[in-house]
Amino acid sequence: MRLRTKITPYLLVTPYIIHFMLFVVFPVIFSIVLTFHKWNIISPMEYIGLNNYIRLFKDEVFFRSLINTLIFLVIHIPLQIIVALFLAVILNQNIKFRGFFRAAFFLPVIVSGVVVTILWQQLYGFDTGLLNRLLVSIGLGKVGWLTDPNIAMPSIALMATWKNVGLYIVLFLVGLQTVPNQYYEAADIEGASRWQKFYKITLPMINPTIFMVVILSTIGGFSLFIEPYVMTGGGPLNSTISAVLYIYKQGFFYYHMGYSATLGLFFALIIMAVVVIQKKFVERDI
Amino acid sequence: MKPTLLITASVVLLSLINLSCGRSEADRNTILYWSSNNTYEIQFADYITKKWNDENLIKIRFQPVPEGQSSEEVILAAVVGKTTPDIYSNMWQGDVEAYAQAGVLIPLDTLDGFLEFIYDRCDSAVVKEIRSTDGHIYQIPWKINPIMLIYNQRAIEELELDSVPGNYSQFTNAADKFQADLNGDGYIDRWFGYAEVQVTWWQRFFDFYPLYLAASGGASLVKNNKAVFDNEHAVNVFKFLRNLYANNYFSKERLSARQDVFLSGVIATRFTGPWEIAHSEKYKPEGFEYDFHHLPVPDNHEGPIYTYGDPKNIVIFNTCRNPELAWKFLRDMINEENDLKLLELSNQLPRRKNIDQNSLYTGYFEQNPKMKTFAKQAKFVKGTDASPVLKEVFDLISQQYEACVIYGVKSPEEAVKDAADAVNLLFLK
Repeated sequence: MRLRTKITPYLLVTPYIIHFMLFVVFPVIFSIVLTFHKWNIISPMEYIGLNNYIRLFKDEVFFRSLINTLIFLVIHIPLQIIVALFLAVILNQNIKFRGFFRAAFFLPVIVSGVVVTILWQQLYGFDTGLLNRLLVSIGLGKVGWLTDPNIAMPSIALMATWKNVGLYIVLFLVGLQTVPNQYYEAADIEGASRWQKFYKITLPMINPTIFMVVILSTIGGFSLFIEPYVMTGGGPLNSTISAVLYIYKQGFFYYHMGYSATLGLFFALIIMAVVVIQKKFVERDI
Repeated sequence: MKPTLLITASVVLLSLINLSCGRSEADRNTILYWSSNNTYEIQFADYITKKWNDENLIKIRFQPVPEGQSSEEVILAAVVGKTTPDIYSNMWQGDVEAYAQAGVLIPLDTLDGFLEFIYDRCDSAVVKEIRSTDGHIYQIPWKINPIMLIYNQRAIEELELDSVPGNYSQFTNAADKFQADLNGDGYIDRWFGYAEVQVTWWQRFFDFYPLYLAASGGASLVKNNKAVFDNEHAVNVFKFLRNLYANNYFSKERLSARQDVFLSGVIATRFTGPWEIAHSEKYKPEGFEYDFHHLPVPDNHEGPIYTYGDPKNIVIFNTCRNPELAWKFLRDMINEENDLKLLELSNQLPRRKNIDQNSLYTGYFEQNPKMKTFAKQAKFVKGTDASPVLKEVFDLISQQYEACVIYGVKSPEEAVKDAADAVNLLFLK
């Protein structure tokens, strides 16, 4: 009986342990081993020491992809937070058709990323895109939304914000609804303005939500893939190639499995470092 | 758990393991043949295997290549999982060298009668082209889809040209006359041609590569692990294409998501293959006429005008237990009569010499005169060089192509040199 009591918990966690070993531990260890090898899947692995790491530090396109990812994050995260928070504050008021607007803003979140990307590709079209038609109709010039190397990544960031903002609105709404009403009533008695109430009460009270949104959109931003893959293929002039897209290309376009694993490992370390830094500073300061 | 349930679960599990570990005993006495999943090729493979099975004891089991993102990925997965078919008939020539070096293909020149057959079927240049770097032949050249210039006959007539533009000057002059801003918004909205501007490596099969072959008389891109395209032909092609984009004769915008821009008159030409015929016949507006012409070449070009043939070849994988029988079947499958059947069913040209002069095919070409143009071009087509890193080579060229041709941030000379240097680095790794 005692033995059974001792074994049962282990038996219960065994399926998860097996799953964890097979799909997490083994791939991680295998990836690290791969970084020291050259392997194209069909031929045997060839040990090449640190060559993949040396190649990584000389790879201009990879560093370009990191900069592109950074540009995306710098545009996407603040835009996402500002827009989501602004809309959440409005949708938290007693406005007409509130339910409809809440659903409408959330709709893009549940639409397939590929579908959204294809739709925006049409919007961004140079000759036939709605945005450029609108610009021309008001006497402005056409913009190469996806063909101008300086504008392509901001265009993608704008689209990604539109796609994901609904999710963050929901998170902010949850945060806003946890702020006790007494604080606002006390502020009203003290004669605080709307902005003062927002800045002094709302923002500090939803600090944990803001932190969560920053972390989630950072991780989401780092995994940027579908949008440049479908819309631009990483172009023009590598201006939209994200780190994940480049890693994917190395692995599954060219079957440079060892090099792709090296890039993946390096990129994972960068993400870990960024999240640790964010946790240390963002959580405290806001 | 009840014992019966346990036994049933074990039996199911063992059966699944058995299924996933390979083909059943019954399958070992048959030849498994994967064709492309194109409807017409499925019809052809179905026809050919039924015919064989009616006449032979050992059967051929045919199935289209399983669905996947691309047939190349499916084949790769099959190679890795050792679940390859015995025969595969839609192998891109550029993939063969990597598989040959990995040792997963049967060297066909070791099979009885193969060399006589192949020299009888193809020109010696084709045999040279398909020979691997180790000296063996791992593929049978089966069918091609040469890339040519399709043009809108009425649009070209309206330009009052002496002939269909055949060289760079004629092409750019015609392009200059044709381009227009039809809606008057200050932007060109009618272009002379269109080629995909994406940097994806295989897009260069429809612009740079066939034009390079045309300009150079079918020269290689790589040879003996070295880039050999840093030459005037590649520079001329880059210059020519760059000029087309710089002057808005070709659209930089992706037009592929719109209604067919050729059939709707938005463009007058396109570099394309014979598959365009079936498509155009089905969707062309009333009164729309089109034809095909060789690709534009430099003004001082002399000699035959080559193009890319987009060849799809046949291989036998080393998982095949009876390569001699597989070869016997293939010999029958690609004989003259069956090649005609392929042509009739799929409008894809068998890669055999003098197909345009062979009396067996005369009737077909009389009924399909546009295909005759492709048959004449078939004498001067090239596939790809034998290199295990061909995709990377095309990708590196593509990167420079984008910088020079589309965005004009590099000179043609610089771009070609940088691409060649990058390819040479690739071979050093």
